[in-house]
Amino acid sequence: MNQALLLGRRALRETLRTPESLAPTLLIPLFFLIVNVGQAGKIFPASSTGFLKGQSYAAFQLPSSLLLAASFGTAALYLVEDIEGGYFDKLRAAPIGRTALVVGRLFAEAVKSVILTAVLILISLPFGIRVASGIFGFLLLLVLASAWAVTYAGFMQLIALKTRSAAATNSGSLLFFPLLFLTPNFVPRSLLTRPMEIAATFNPVTYIMEGLRSLILGADATVVARGFAVVLGLGAVMVILNVRAVRSYD
Amino acid sequence: MTLAIEAVGLVKTFPSKGGDVEAVRGVDLAVEQGEVFGFLGPNGAGKTTTVRMLTTLLSITSGVARVAGVDVASDPDAVRRKIGVALQEAGLDPRQTGRELVTLQAQLFGLAPAAARDRAQSLLELVDLVDAGDRRIKGYSGGMKRRLDLASALVHQPDVLFLDEPTTGLDPASRLTVWDEVRRINAEGTSVFLTTQYLEEADQLCDRLAIIDGGRIVLEGTPASLKASLRRRRGLDHDPTLDEVFLEATGRTRIRAAGDVEQVQA
Repeated sequence: MNQALLLGRRALRETLRTPESLAPTLLIPLFFLIVNVGQAGKIFPASSTGFLKGQSYAAFQLPSSLLLAASFGTAALYLVEDIEGGYFDKLRAAPIGRTALVVGRLFAEAVKSVILTAVLILISLPFGIRVASGIFGFLLLLVLASAWAVTYAGFMQLIALKTRSAAATNSGSLLFFPLLFLTPNFVPRSLLTRPMEIAATFNPVTYIMEGLRSLILGADATVVARGFAVVLGLGAVMVILNVRAVRSYD
Repeated sequence: MTLAIEAVGLVKTFPSKGGDVEAVRGVDLAVEQGEVFGFLGPNGAGKTTTVRMLTTLLSITSGVARVAGVDVASDPDAVRRKIGVALQEAGLDPRQTGRELVTLQAQLFGLAPAAARDRAQSLLELVDLVDAGDRRIKGYSGGMKRRLDLASALVHQPDVLFLDEPTTGLDPASRLTVWDEVRRINAEGTSVFLTTQYLEEADQLCDRLAIIDGGRIVLEGTPASLKASLRRRRGLDHDPTLDEVFLEATGRTRIRAAGDVEQVQA
């Protein structure tokens, strides 16, 4: 655990020293929030749209932006740099637990995501958004979004460990877009067409999005718990696959 | 006495589309404690593959390797505690400072933060990088990176130090500095396993050496004994250079070496 924290601290230092890599993770999700609300906001007025529970459409859209911000997986891109530059071999040749080798960066990803999510929510407040579940709900939002960030970074780290290629790892972040749009992204699941509803039901991102949305619009404990269950399950699978990949790394 | 490095029948096979490629085909090694052992060979001969197996970075297809008395395949973590590794092209993190990198390495080897900082300071002094220690590695020259890599390989005072082509790409002055460091480290009791393309380097530094070609060791001995043997066989009236020993051992003439060097990916 200590080694993972040491490597996590180094990864955070790395992020702080490349602030330019943080800008897109903040600006692109904000861009999507503004554009989506600008295009569909009038269709769903707060006063007459039941699923908004009295809030603006921006509140309904915010989870998509939070998930997008948590899905850049930059941890994996830095890992490829380590692999290509030889530093990863230096670490592998040291008596560091194989789990720490991959978990260290995920720790850093969690911390980074908590901060990014908090900043995004604060920036979004002028859009008429409030976190209906209060301070505790706000904290759960941070945890749920960062748990997804860790899970997706774990998926991208897996690509990095298997391919050792920056191009392949980079393209892993694009895979998130179909996952993001095969969800109740613009309307609740019950209003989707049947094919979209089926796709969304099989998409794990749906449950995390619904969990986040529930915390913003008014907490439904079951929906929130389901979101956590899905992300924790997927996260555990990713960590296990990462550890297996680094153990068999040749 | 336990050998610093012992390998028996070491084999590494890589799967490939056209069938398996045998990069190392049964290497035997016996490196005594306190030796500087040179491992030479043409490009693709299997040098780096052998080093990567001995340093736990690559799985062993067959054969046995022990480093500092510990079996590499069955207890890689114990081996990692006993070895220092500076690989080709100094694998460093360009965003850290030299001091941060060495301190982190020391902490990863289990030193407490204060002890790790002290160790980093003394190692930076050893490799003459105190002034540059707080600068990011990105701005270091090739020679500075190699010296820092060497320092980071020494944080835990390893029994055996592996240096894979430590001076490739360095200017002559930087090369001499690295040689001095290797001698100093060895004088303190650390066994050194050194791969190099530079025969002068092997001649200057190594107590004994082995030449690998096509994944097999083709010659082994002290630099002096290898030269004397070639002199006897050829009936020369002067000692040959290590270059000539190398070229004969690998079946290359100077003309072939210039125009037809075998390239095998290892």
